[in-house]
Amino acid sequence: MYLAEAKGLEVSEQVGHALRAAIEAWQDFPSSELSDHARPCCGIAREWLLAMDASQMPAGERLAGPRWIRQRVTWGPSRWPLYWCEAVAAKTLDCGVLAALAKAAFRGRGVGCHTAQFIQQYTKGDSCHWYKSWERAEAEVHWILEDLVYHEACAVIVGDNEIRIWDPTASWWVDPKQVIGYSGVLAARVLAAQDDLPRHFTWGTHRIPLNQWQPLQYAAELA
Amino acid sequence: MKIYISGLYSGTNPQPGIGLARSLRAAYPNVSLTGVEYSSRSSGLHWVDFDELLLQRPWEELDLDTYATIIAQLLDSGAFWLSGIDLEIMWLASVFPEGHPNLLVPPGEAIRRIAKPAVEAHRGLPVRIPSFVSAAEHSEWDLHAFCRRHDWKVWLKGPYYEAVRTNTWDAVESARTAIKRAWSTDNVFIQAHVTGYEESVCFSAYRGELLGSAYMRKREITQEGKTWAGDIAEVPDEFAVPLQRIVKDLNWTGGAELEMVRDTNGQLWLIECNPRFPAWVHGATIAGHNLAAALVERASAVRARKTRVVCEEFARIVLEVPVRPEFPLPPLPEPYAGGFGHSLKHPSGNLVLADRLHKLKVIDSDRACDAKWPPGERTQAPAPAVPPSFISDLNTFDFAKLATPSWLFLESTAASLFRRAAEMSERLSTAAIKVTNAYSIKTNPDERLMRLAYQSGFKAEAISLLEVQRALAVGFKPDEVILNGPGKWWPEGLLPRSPLHAVFCDSIADLKRVASNMENGTLQAKIAGIRLRPPTVPSRFGIPADSPDALRALVEAVDTLPRDCEFGVHFHMASSNVGVAQWWHLYDALLRWCRAIETLSQRRIQHLDLGGGWFPDDWHIDSDARFAEAVERVRTHLPGVTQIISEPGKAMAQPTMALGMRLLEFEQSRGEIKQAVVDASIAELPMNVVQPHRILHQHARSGEWQPLRRGNTQLFGRLCMEHDIVATNVELPVHAQVGDLLVFCDAGAYDRSMSYVFGRG
Repeated sequence: MYLAEAKGLEVSEQVGHALRAAIEAWQDFPSSELSDHARPCCGIAREWLLAMDASQMPAGERLAGPRWIRQRVTWGPSRWPLYWCEAVAAKTLDCGVLAALAKAAFRGRGVGCHTAQFIQQYTKGDSCHWYKSWERAEAEVHWILEDLVYHEACAVIVGDNEIRIWDPTASWWVDPKQVIGYSGVLAARVLAAQDDLPRHFTWGTHRIPLNQWQPLQYAAELA
Repeated sequence: MKIYISGLYSGTNPQPGIGLARSLRAAYPNVSLTGVEYSSRSSGLHWVDFDELLLQRPWEELDLDTYATIIAQLLDSGAFWLSGIDLEIMWLASVFPEGHPNLLVPPGEAIRRIAKPAVEAHRGLPVRIPSFVSAAEHSEWDLHAFCRRHDWKVWLKGPYYEAVRTNTWDAVESARTAIKRAWSTDNVFIQAHVTGYEESVCFSAYRGELLGSAYMRKREITQEGKTWAGDIAEVPDEFAVPLQRIVKDLNWTGGAELEMVRDTNGQLWLIECNPRFPAWVHGATIAGHNLAAALVERASAVRARKTRVVCEEFARIVLEVPVRPEFPLPPLPEPYAGGFGHSLKHPSGNLVLADRLHKLKVIDSDRACDAKWPPGERTQAPAPAVPPSFISDLNTFDFAKLATPSWLFLESTAASLFRRAAEMSERLSTAAIKVTNAYSIKTNPDERLMRLAYQSGFKAEAISLLEVQRALAVGFKPDEVILNGPGKWWPEGLLPRSPLHAVFCDSIADLKRVASNMENGTLQAKIAGIRLRPPTVPSRFGIPADSPDALRALVEAVDTLPRDCEFGVHFHMASSNVGVAQWWHLYDALLRWCRAIETLSQRRIQHLDLGGGWFPDDWHIDSDARFAEAVERVRTHLPGVTQIISEPGKAMAQPTMALGMRLLEFEQSRGEIKQAVVDASIAELPMNVVQPHRILHQHARSGEWQPLRRGNTQLFGRLCMEHDIVATNVELPVHAQVGDLLVFCDAGAYDRSMSYVFGRG
């Protein structure tokens, strides 16, 4: 990416248009969920993941991110639907699979966790590379919209309504303080179906309504 | 206006001088900045923002009184002095006990109150201090216990500089010696590591008035743990308000940095407080917090140019700058033989300065580790506490007739340990779960210990058929024997014909063999099971389950075990090596693996065999409640379990034997014994580098026993081997004589069983 391109990432009406289009396109984008063969293969996969996470989790630190999952694989295209047994055996996983596995790990520790969805801004050049890779792997590429991309992570409950967001692809906690620029998060959504959940979650200074895309900071004005 | 700035080193562990110069230049374009350095090797000398340089000779060559006079004259002439070197700050604080309006360093008392690790002045801040223990004030025995308690995730730190991550006892000892040698102090401490994100608060203050502060989160960190990029924010009120009070309390002048770690639960831990601006100080300026300018503005009353917010994030880069012709580069020192060339460490003579300040009692004159001690009062590290039963057992020996070195069986100590273990297993047993002890034969196959185990209701845990035969010879029945390990079928032909209590398999192949032999009747056991290899701790033992395929193979193999035998899982990990908390974490993870195996194999786990490598104090002292909780967790997670076999390992054997030896020779030099030779050796104490031993000296005339403190004497073994050093840094009593008896306690486990014959002809 050239500097001139990066400058294009700054606040502009053009970004606002793109973001509105992306929100509309990904309005019904579901949380990535792994399928289960209901046979021992998937039973072993689930049990292995949870037991392995119990070993890998630092002693007493239930809120430590399960980095070990990402350490075993590279990030790349996954073909959906994907079964548990395939997910734990694969050498390459997309962000949806990584989020599904990390979510299971957090829940296995007794920590509340839901799907977090992001719209992030990269460049058309990046999108082009990703598009080709996914096409080559015969995986669906509906997560790219020009220079905006859909990304999936884990909304981890740390207080009454408070969440922290673990990005299992990057192996970091996403900083709620987002600044303009490359890879910036323009919008976030927390997806959950349970009835007993609050209407919104607090993520840093953000208030994220449940199951609704929430444009963040500077992007909020544009969207 | 003229400002002197010291601390220009700009290598991988940079000082703040360059950042201070950049920040002050931004605020005062026309001020005269003078860089102060003590070595021409410091690349910061060549930084363009300095109008003038004051290159002094290294600290070892400086006459401190003369230098103090020079600085006083500079200050009196109106110049300001902003120091970026901790030791220089401490020295200046001592030279100017009443301060000087132009000297921008904190007072000595304030420096004392922020001394690590206790950082006495931190109270009120929303931070905690990681656990620590003063190495100078505790025995080796206590230090080893601290390391075990913190899973060997500990740092050995000097009072001013140096922090070494030490994950073994050997590493603790080596780092301690190195720091002592480098910084001329024994005042080191061991501090628990805190995992988390590194954050800092930097502030500037003048005569107790907080002038500004900035919060920095490290966003890139070098291998040495130094900031390479960060983001800056306002200091939150819950921090800023108490900080303001503390600054006032301390009457602080100058810059400071509080280095902290935020753990995964969000708790902040204060690692240290530096009495100067940090090297990243200009990062704060970029974000609009020009703390250096605020300080100079307040001290000089000369208005600083307003600082523009450029960005809340900063990054570092590497720059090549032209060398000032007045200060050409010195040649690189000759590499040591076999080494490769590198710049001298501490070319400015910091180490010598530390030594000189010690002698002047400017630093380390009181206990930095424990603020409750009055300044100036120092005590020796106490001798380790030795259980009274050791002494009473030793008093039963007639040492006059004893050839040394000789193993000493501490009979009443051993009896009480086994009695206690038996009572504890009774107490821990419930209606649903029986807790049974097992004695690890390999730890010490001494017949007296095995007999005690047998009489105390222990099972015998063997790793070979020879050990099985030894157990049978002592009186154990085959159904009281547990067989473990990768080589347990060796040697052939010694397997008892009647059923064993349990057999645990160390590999899938072993498991298939056991299943087959039980099927065809050549092996009989009440319990057949598996030893699990924990996926996160390196181990050659047990069956791995670190991949879905490995777990599948394990589950399929378990399915081959005959249904008419009971099923068990065996988990052994040396708690003294991995640490106590880590052992319990592995235990909890084991319960999760067991549930997985139960679910997938549809096979109830009825027996758990747990243990291995417990340090005696961790197993015997204040452990009942923890073990009771552990039994309860088994009941919750694995309701099919009817028996827990507890194998304490060396917790049973280690205290039961000591090694008696005599002093062969020593030499006194200036009233101190630097080294002594004993008639024992590492052949009798092979665990010497792994654990400390409590050492007793017997007074030649009175016969009284005296535990040895830490001191400056090395005890050399009798072998002609370079590494035959049985103790480093002990203090022999002044009345010690050649021929005196020394007794190394705590030698009853692997010291005894793994001792070897060497150098005896």
